[in-house]
Amino acid sequence: MKLNKVDTDKAYQLLWEKITSLELKPGEILDIAVLADELKFSQASVREALSLLIHDHLVEAPPRGLYVAGLNFDDLEKISTIRLNLETLAAQQAVRHATKDDLVILSTLCEEIAQDTRELFVLDQHFHQAIARATHNDYLEEMLQRLYGLSKRLWFLALPYLDFLPSAVKSHIKLVDAISEQDETRAMEIMGNHIEEFYLKIKDIIREKDLI
Amino acid sequence: MNKKTPPETLVLGIDTGGTYTDGVLLEYNSHQIIAAHKSLTTKRDFSIGIENVIKEIELKDPSAIQMVSISTTLATNAIAEGKGKRVALFLIGYDPDLIDSFDMAKRFATPHYYYINGGHDLHGQEHAPLDLQNLLEKTKAVKNKVDAIAVSSYFSPRNPEHEIRAQNAIASVCELPIVLGHQLSTSLGSVERATTAALNASLLAVLQEFIIAVRRAMEHRGINAPLMVVRGDGTLMNDEFAAQSPVETIHSGPAASAIGGRFLSGQDQALVLDVGGTTTDLALIKDGKVTVSETGASVSGYQTAVKAANLFSIGLGGDSHITLERGNELCIGPERVVPLSYLSHLHKNVGERLKALSKRGWPAPYPRELEYWFLQREVSDIHSFTAREQQVIEILKSGPKPATEVLKSLGLLDPSQIDLNNLWREEITGKSGFTPTDILHIEGIHSPWDVEASQSALIVFSHYLNWGEDEFRRIFWELVTEKISKAVIYFLTEKAIPAKNEPIHALANWFLENTLLPQHDQLETQIKLKIPLIGIGAPAKEILDRVARILNNELILPDNYQVANAAGAVAGSVMVTEEILIYPHLSTGDIDVIGYFLQARDGREEIEELEDALNKAKRLAGENALSAALRSGADNPQVDIEVIQDGMDSYRIKARAVGKPRLEG
Repeated sequence: MKLNKVDTDKAYQLLWEKITSLELKPGEILDIAVLADELKFSQASVREALSLLIHDHLVEAPPRGLYVAGLNFDDLEKISTIRLNLETLAAQQAVRHATKDDLVILSTLCEEIAQDTRELFVLDQHFHQAIARATHNDYLEEMLQRLYGLSKRLWFLALPYLDFLPSAVKSHIKLVDAISEQDETRAMEIMGNHIEEFYLKIKDIIREKDLI
Repeated sequence: MNKKTPPETLVLGIDTGGTYTDGVLLEYNSHQIIAAHKSLTTKRDFSIGIENVIKEIELKDPSAIQMVSISTTLATNAIAEGKGKRVALFLIGYDPDLIDSFDMAKRFATPHYYYINGGHDLHGQEHAPLDLQNLLEKTKAVKNKVDAIAVSSYFSPRNPEHEIRAQNAIASVCELPIVLGHQLSTSLGSVERATTAALNASLLAVLQEFIIAVRRAMEHRGINAPLMVVRGDGTLMNDEFAAQSPVETIHSGPAASAIGGRFLSGQDQALVLDVGGTTTDLALIKDGKVTVSETGASVSGYQTAVKAANLFSIGLGGDSHITLERGNELCIGPERVVPLSYLSHLHKNVGERLKALSKRGWPAPYPRELEYWFLQREVSDIHSFTAREQQVIEILKSGPKPATEVLKSLGLLDPSQIDLNNLWREEITGKSGFTPTDILHIEGIHSPWDVEASQSALIVFSHYLNWGEDEFRRIFWELVTEKISKAVIYFLTEKAIPAKNEPIHALANWFLENTLLPQHDQLETQIKLKIPLIGIGAPAKEILDRVARILNNELILPDNYQVANAAGAVAGSVMVTEEILIYPHLSTGDIDVIGYFLQARDGREEIEELEDALNKAKRLAGENALSAALRSGADNPQVDIEVIQDGMDSYRIKARAVGKPRLEG
């Protein structure tokens, strides 16, 4: 059941998108009245949306004022560690619980072709969400979704210097094969490598270009 | 000794009609109207007109308002003008040949429809396996061309499994909102269900934006109260429900008017006539309730499965354009224009020019010279318009001009030579002309604006027709009365009224004509309406007085009948209905009943004994209706449950939870 009001929901989606795509920069001040005017929402809905984003660790509320949460290298380490473990767990659970429908969905997603890096990122995201759904474990799905918001910002930071993603699609295909063949170990290994490779690249770029 | 006055319960009702957006501040318990406000309806964006009402209506203490409720033609209008969002419709298990042979595809309300294998049968058994692969391929191909997706599966009210599986799959490849047929309708009509789902999908974003804008306007005025929206049957739902099922708001405007008429008059048996600026709407009150149409609401030729009040509407209102058609026949409506008295009230020179026109000897003035065009609002981006549109805007910058003059300066003879629909639709330019409102000005009944402008227009018309001015007015009133009386007879008998020259039985025709317009020297015929008329809307008194006399019953004009439509927006109850189906599980070969399926909105289970299934269904339907009514803003809702046999061994368990809206102080 949906818990939020329509306008809160919509304001949350808009602000989530602006923050995770770095349109609103880490550390930027968030003024409720200004945002409500810009987005043409009531202040109440913007206030509620921001409090949901505080919960997502995307907005910080020190004693005074509201800010877009900062990004630092420590966070990157922490996020990648958890995500590596949870995604591997998701791969294992997907082998155990995926239905026929899930397999059709996963193979369809593998076949999609992206036109540019940004689109490829969206496809990658759809794929990981579909794996999470194939676990049929709501809690795991929700945790992965929250981590996604945090790691999306890191990815957007590195975006201008990235060119490696097409190889990721190959590992998607291998992963779907492993799931349909019910090979737990291989599925976990492929997913583990896939995630690890991603974060290593990101870390390298961020360090090299001194982005944080 | 001081008397204790009961605490006031203030609510704000808003109705957006075709011409005006009305607002009333009302004391809920005493039905007392405390303040009212009228603002022009802004069709390009309905929320602007509503914001104006919320901003302007007189309120001592906005924070004391305990509910805001809105009836709106938003959905109806968005469908009529194609302003809904683009939708892809997936039809699971539908037979393309059958649809083609009855030419039903045009009823789906979207050009993007796709047939997918799957679907169930009458007994909820899978008819064919769902072709998920094909569904996903089609979704991928269309997802960047549409804004929402609708899914309707064959016999989904009996078993929605394929719709639900389709939803999960579609949500995995795109972020578009998805509407499922079985969530909107439990009726088995598969085409109506598909149409309803497609229309609902196309309206989701439209209603969402609307609610966001209204909430913002309320906040600006300091109103912190629940927001309700009127359904097509006059009941209320809270804004969250409305955002999910916008299709249910179709016809909510006329339904609210009817309820307002009953609410302010207290009549339990009556015919409500709402005379607006653009249309006159008819609804029937029986035993204190607005009658509901047996078939679903239809809008712009699309038949839906949505429950709506039984309404009839004719294109005749206070601001209908009075024109001459071929053969100098006097016509009223259906086009709505700004009355000349009002245009001249805003622009003095229009009145002066009309006066000069009425005095012109040669060439004799034509009635079509009375049509004025004017600029309705500032244009921010002139380059977004075509060259022709820009020319027209330029010409009208110096003030309103007769249409004939605008066309002449463009080197054109007839308005059909130029396409200005975009300018009218975007409300950049407006049209003004001679209207019933002008005649009311002349008769001194309702004359807040420039009477002289109306008078000049009347002179032009009557001279051209070689009628006296009084004769013109007499013929005008006969025509109005005849049109509305015929509409009443048609609405109540459901018998079509033939066009003037259409041959029907000569005697029947004579009876009708002689009744509406007595002309025989020896024979008088009469018709008697057995229930009173309730008139609402600003010009109701004058326009309906004669209709009531023809129909031989009284015309009741409740206090504040001019804004009864807006009062109707707050007068409805909050209602939720939940249906559960029970149908037999048959053994192979359809021979024995081996159990019963209980199909609720979100799942199906099997129960061995019918008795147990019925009991469980009654309990479940009651609980679901009650909790949904509470969630949609009902205060202390009462539930009643009905069991309807629906074919062999099949039952429909219908729970209805009804309560007054919950007010928050």
